[in-house]
Amino acid sequence: MSSGSNGARRVASLLRPSIIDSGVCRSCQETLGRRSYSSAAPAIESTSASTAADPAVKPAYIINAGVVLSRPPQITRELEPFEKAFFFYQKRLNERLALPFTKYFYFKRGTPADEDWKKKIQERRTAARDIGKYNAYDSDAWNDELLLGAKESEPEHQIEALVQDAESTANATSQDTSKKEEIPRPYPRITEADKKNDQKSLDRLLSRTLYLLVQSKEGHWKFPSSPVESGETLRLAAERTLAQSAGVNMNTWFVGFHPVGWHSFNPRRSKADNATEIEAPGSKIFFLKSRMMAGQADLSVNTQGLKDFKWLAKEELAQYLNTQYYSNIKNMLADR
Amino acid sequence: MAAREPSRYLARALPRTSVPSIRPQGFLSRRNVSDEAPARRLSDHLTELESASSLSTTVPESAAASFDPLARAAARKNQLPRGRYQFRSPKYNRGPLHPHQPPPPSHPSSRLFVPGPFSAPRAEQTFDSTVSPDIMTLCYVHTPPGFKPPPKSARLREWDDSSPYHKNRVLRGPRGGDVLRLLRKPIKFNNIPEIERITIHSYVKNAAAERNSSWLHVAGIAVQAISNVRVETFKSKSNVAPWGIAAGRDSVAVKAELYGENMHHFFGKLVDVVLPRIKDWEGVKGSSGDSSGNITFGLIPENVALFPELEINYDMYPPKMIPGCHITLHTTAKTDKDARLLLSAMGIPFYGKIVN
Repeated sequence: MSSGSNGARRVASLLRPSIIDSGVCRSCQETLGRRSYSSAAPAIESTSASTAADPAVKPAYIINAGVVLSRPPQITRELEPFEKAFFFYQKRLNERLALPFTKYFYFKRGTPADEDWKKKIQERRTAARDIGKYNAYDSDAWNDELLLGAKESEPEHQIEALVQDAESTANATSQDTSKKEEIPRPYPRITEADKKNDQKSLDRLLSRTLYLLVQSKEGHWKFPSSPVESGETLRLAAERTLAQSAGVNMNTWFVGFHPVGWHSFNPRRSKADNATEIEAPGSKIFFLKSRMMAGQADLSVNTQGLKDFKWLAKEELAQYLNTQYYSNIKNMLADR
Repeated sequence: MAAREPSRYLARALPRTSVPSIRPQGFLSRRNVSDEAPARRLSDHLTELESASSLSTTVPESAAASFDPLARAAARKNQLPRGRYQFRSPKYNRGPLHPHQPPPPSHPSSRLFVPGPFSAPRAEQTFDSTVSPDIMTLCYVHTPPGFKPPPKSARLREWDDSSPYHKNRVLRGPRGGDVLRLLRKPIKFNNIPEIERITIHSYVKNAAAERNSSWLHVAGIAVQAISNVRVETFKSKSNVAPWGIAAGRDSVAVKAELYGENMHHFFGKLVDVVLPRIKDWEGVKGSSGDSSGNITFGLIPENVALFPELEINYDMYPPKMIPGCHITLHTTAKTDKDARLLLSAMGIPFYGKIVN
């Protein structure tokens, strides 16, 4: 058997009337038709029906490549009230069960740090700085539960306590008493874009995944998508779509070569179409996943006639998208 | 006689429904719970559920302000009996029949109880929200309907029966070596590889030198500081004459095993703080790994000192005694390729020839 016959056999297998379900695409049929070297060649069924004799004209679909471009969460999520209470309870429980803090390892006697420590422990009553005033070795250590309205379990309160503690330590131990030390606070979780609800900004909703939505020239919102051209793979078509719709001023990464979801729709038949009896083809959109690294969408150079874009979280998508469209895509989006 | 009194035997023999009952049977007036069920809609049930969390319930100001547990305890004339409120777990396990049984380890009064978790680590949240869906997408393999995977040959090979001595002989190992690799199943939503545990191991070659145990103490304290886990020490298994180490005599190594919250915090610090600050560090060697999804790399003492816990009081550690260490990232991936995919997504760079 010469190797040259391999290609010819593949062509023959393509020309052969398919014995497999016609719902399977051509590349997959090739996969199915390929036989492993160990197995015997399948007996070719002699089918009298030819492809041309198929009378039922199936509605053709235009295959579209869509891009689900997302900006992943930048910061951690907000804790649930239960989680805050539970974590705080566990911290105080740990304080009760752990061995007491060994001061003599960390503070040398007579140093400014030692003096500062003595003052702090008087008012704080414990080595931990984020559990409020609580001494686990006291006679009233049983009183470890927070009362109603207490702020100690809030992360913001704990951060503030840590920063103030660091500031007072820095001020008490520094040589220069004239200057007041400032410890930088962490940046706020709510940004300017959140306050203005700027849906074009990537700084909005930092703890959520944001998805790029574009508005077509007809005025409806969608993920960027366009028909796959001949000789183009789905991935290449998706990359081209993204470049043509939202510009190249973005550092993006396509996750894999497979679509993560799909949506299909048939256009409504208009009156003119009824007269000519020509069925307009429907569309199937296959969505590829892509991650945003840097940059921003830019519609000024788009060749698809797009009017507007928005970066939206999952719940906000439902307001803008068609109901059918949203129900088809919602399960491929991350919860957070 | 028997024909005259059939009732007792008949009543036993007949099914229950036909036996005359003493109670009047008001079929029409009986009300069952199930009769009413269809009349109630789903929304009626939902209204019974509390819409808000009990933690955010509003309580009248006066009730909240007047509640002071400390004052209440002080005002109590007779103190509560101590033993009733402070349960002590038995020190020894005296068997299942003893009346004094220890509580389960998850109970705070158990001697085995370990408190926690104390936070929701960032590395874990990143994995859940971003990395795991991406890995699932990347590892997707399309199998068209009607696809049958080619039959796999047996992992352990049969003998070819060319010799009579092959009868009842144990099966042969795989080709190319005796090691039976882990089975890799297709990655689906329920077996996305994740970090299982992290091992920090440090071999201190000076541990036996000049009969000075401080090297091992410092190594243990340093590893404890960066990992938040008690270390285990190990004795040498081999003699190393130049370092004066004798097998079975000298404790030479410390190890910490990190799970769960500790592991995620350590991984976050490693990826976000320590590794980016190492000078001229190319990454983890691409050939690292035990071919079953566990990747190891080493840090020299200067790199270990970059951990924030050591940096904050660097002066407290004796000079030059901070140890280097080997860090093993154990993942649930079955192959090194999958493990590298996970770790590089989580922020660990790999360099050089990638060996899978």
